[in-house]
Amino acid sequence: MKQTLDERFLISPFLVFFIVHATQVGVGMLGFQRPLMEDAGQDAWMAVLLAGLATHVLIWLMYRLLAYSPSGGDIVSLHKHYFGRWFGGVLSIGLLAYYALAAFTVLQSYIEIIKVWMFPLMGAWQFSLIFLMLTYYVISGGFRVVAGLCFWGVVIPLATIFPMMAFAFEYAQYRNLLPVLDHSPTQILKAVNDMAFQYLGFEVLLMYYPFLKNAPSSQKWAHASNVLTIFLYLVVILISIIFYNKEQIAHITWPTLTLAKIPEVPFIERMEYIVISIYVLVVFPNLVVAVWAMARVVKQLFSIRQRRSLPVLIACLFIGTLFFEEKSDIERFIQWTSKSGLFLIGVYIPLLYVYVWVVEKVKKSLQQKQ
Amino acid sequence: MGMKRWLACLLGLLLLGGCAKSRPIDQIQIIQQMGYDFKDDQYIGTAVYPTFKQGPMTKPNMLTTSSPTVYDLIPRLSAKSALPIEEGQLRLILFGKQFAERGIEQITHSLARNNKVGSHLFLGVAEGSAKELLDITAKTTLSDTLYLPNLIKQNEQSMNLPKTNLHLFLYRYFSPGSDPFLPYFEKKGGFVKLEGVALFRDGRYVGHVDLRDSFLMKILLGETKNGVYQLKVGERGKQGEDRVMLQNLWAKPTYKWRRDGDRHVLDVFVHIHASVRDYPSWLDEPGANLFTDVKKKMEKELEQDMRRLFHYFQEKRIDPMGIGDFVRSVTRRWDRESFYREYPDLDIRPHVTVDIIHTGIGE
Repeated sequence: MKQTLDERFLISPFLVFFIVHATQVGVGMLGFQRPLMEDAGQDAWMAVLLAGLATHVLIWLMYRLLAYSPSGGDIVSLHKHYFGRWFGGVLSIGLLAYYALAAFTVLQSYIEIIKVWMFPLMGAWQFSLIFLMLTYYVISGGFRVVAGLCFWGVVIPLATIFPMMAFAFEYAQYRNLLPVLDHSPTQILKAVNDMAFQYLGFEVLLMYYPFLKNAPSSQKWAHASNVLTIFLYLVVILISIIFYNKEQIAHITWPTLTLAKIPEVPFIERMEYIVISIYVLVVFPNLVVAVWAMARVVKQLFSIRQRRSLPVLIACLFIGTLFFEEKSDIERFIQWTSKSGLFLIGVYIPLLYVYVWVVEKVKKSLQQKQ
Repeated sequence: MGMKRWLACLLGLLLLGGCAKSRPIDQIQIIQQMGYDFKDDQYIGTAVYPTFKQGPMTKPNMLTTSSPTVYDLIPRLSAKSALPIEEGQLRLILFGKQFAERGIEQITHSLARNNKVGSHLFLGVAEGSAKELLDITAKTTLSDTLYLPNLIKQNEQSMNLPKTNLHLFLYRYFSPGSDPFLPYFEKKGGFVKLEGVALFRDGRYVGHVDLRDSFLMKILLGETKNGVYQLKVGERGKQGEDRVMLQNLWAKPTYKWRRDGDRHVLDVFVHIHASVRDYPSWLDEPGANLFTDVKKKMEKELEQDMRRLFHYFQEKRIDPMGIGDFVRSVTRRWDRESFYREYPDLDIRPHVTVDIIHTGIGE
């Protein structure tokens, strides 16, 4: 029923490192500090660490689950295998809806930043048209091009934006980190809950797993990638804690961008505009991978070729951007994505794993009886 | 077919790229300094902008308008300007004293939201009216449109003014454990003079300290490398004959919070590495080791001055040194209310150590 993919479509296992990291880090990196510090103040960095460790467990779980999928397939074929054509299909459509929501949220929230910071008079549709055309271009090149984009989406921002963070040390107030552990476990757990959303994105692995050459061996790269993500978030939150105080940060929508106002070099005075521009490379892989996953689910589910489904999916996203432009809409979408993503990865995947594990156990014991 | 389609896409991108508005420099009014005053129940806004003449010459020009509300000022300035006003290059916002006394919360919150202005923007308070001061600088300077911002920068980098800018102002303004302060200017004849530091309580101007005291503020706020301080070390009668000029090379404060019986005590240890360049001739007497004696006197006088300064802050119930924030960092579940109730009677004890590193090239 299921043929494995031709080797020329596959990517090396180590590229998972770039895909996982590129999909985890996105617009959230620019403003995740605010809700975190509201809950846990100077102890917010612990929440970053704890949520990151939880992510490690979930990545491990995802690999265990995918190992059960028939002949190295993705989650859609796993659904079909264990739940049958109809119920499995419904579950896969749920996944499709989630990827669509994620893609839409990424698109909207980055457009919002561009509009607030750079071109307040421009309409959302102009940006979304450009982005979506580029998305179409990349995805029609196949998954290997998507992986290549993720590679540059990690390397370039890491080399350009990340070093800028060091400028903030000029204003460092190290006493802001004290006293350590001045918040109750419930407050910190609440912050962990806020933070978990920022690590989401790795769940697209459920779709591109079959595209990995010798897939199980890529697990160490996925974990390594998550370590890098934890490290980045940790650095940014620590710098934010020593740079801002809790009450000040409550007045700043994108603390990371405001941090980028600090570097001053002779030939350019306002670094945050450079940061926003380079940030396209961070956000774009988010969008592309999510849209690719949508097209992939459609293909696996309805056997529609990506070349045909992609324009329709992209058009839907484009039309969506015409209707939701207000800040409250975007915030609501972020809420939905966050909730459904956490449900998917924190509740559904573990339950699915338990179910699959029990089914396999029962099958085995039945076979042994016979 | 593919080629044509991609060409069409490319063309579309180019067309869309033209959507952003480009703004050539001689077609906008770049405000570099802004003044806010309050006079006769009206807010007065003053904008200083450069006009670009041929070559590197720029001339500062001014626009003034008045309005019953603060937010309305920039739109009203626009009504007087032939070119669109841009605030992205704003370097200084000057508040008149009367305006500052009424509170600058509105402007502060608006600045905290404004993504166009940079974090390095300076804020300041003018003794009389901001308009008058900006007027003087616009008239007396030939081509330097950034006279006041440069004045602040210079004094922060090499003299007694503690570091201030929009980021630091917002930091101290929003912090529950500190109060903001800004440079304070006065009109002296036809010139503008930096007079010290203006102090705020909850965004309202409540007083100022002179440049001598701002040196103390500077070294008490954190590690610093600059500033000068004149000290009296003897009783030799003649004017100037008993003073030394201490130049700070490197100073570092350390705070300690402890309980003494039923009261809290804040120990402030300040270690100053200084050079003494100018000192009275009697100190030069060969053989006698007068400097150890002088050092003790300097330390004592510095301690006394710091005590006086802290008392002034406590009396005014302001905390520009961020003592509340320090105490928060060493107290679990710090309570702002109860701390500031105790604050005016807080026992603050400065302990100063001066190390004289060198005294110039001559003995």
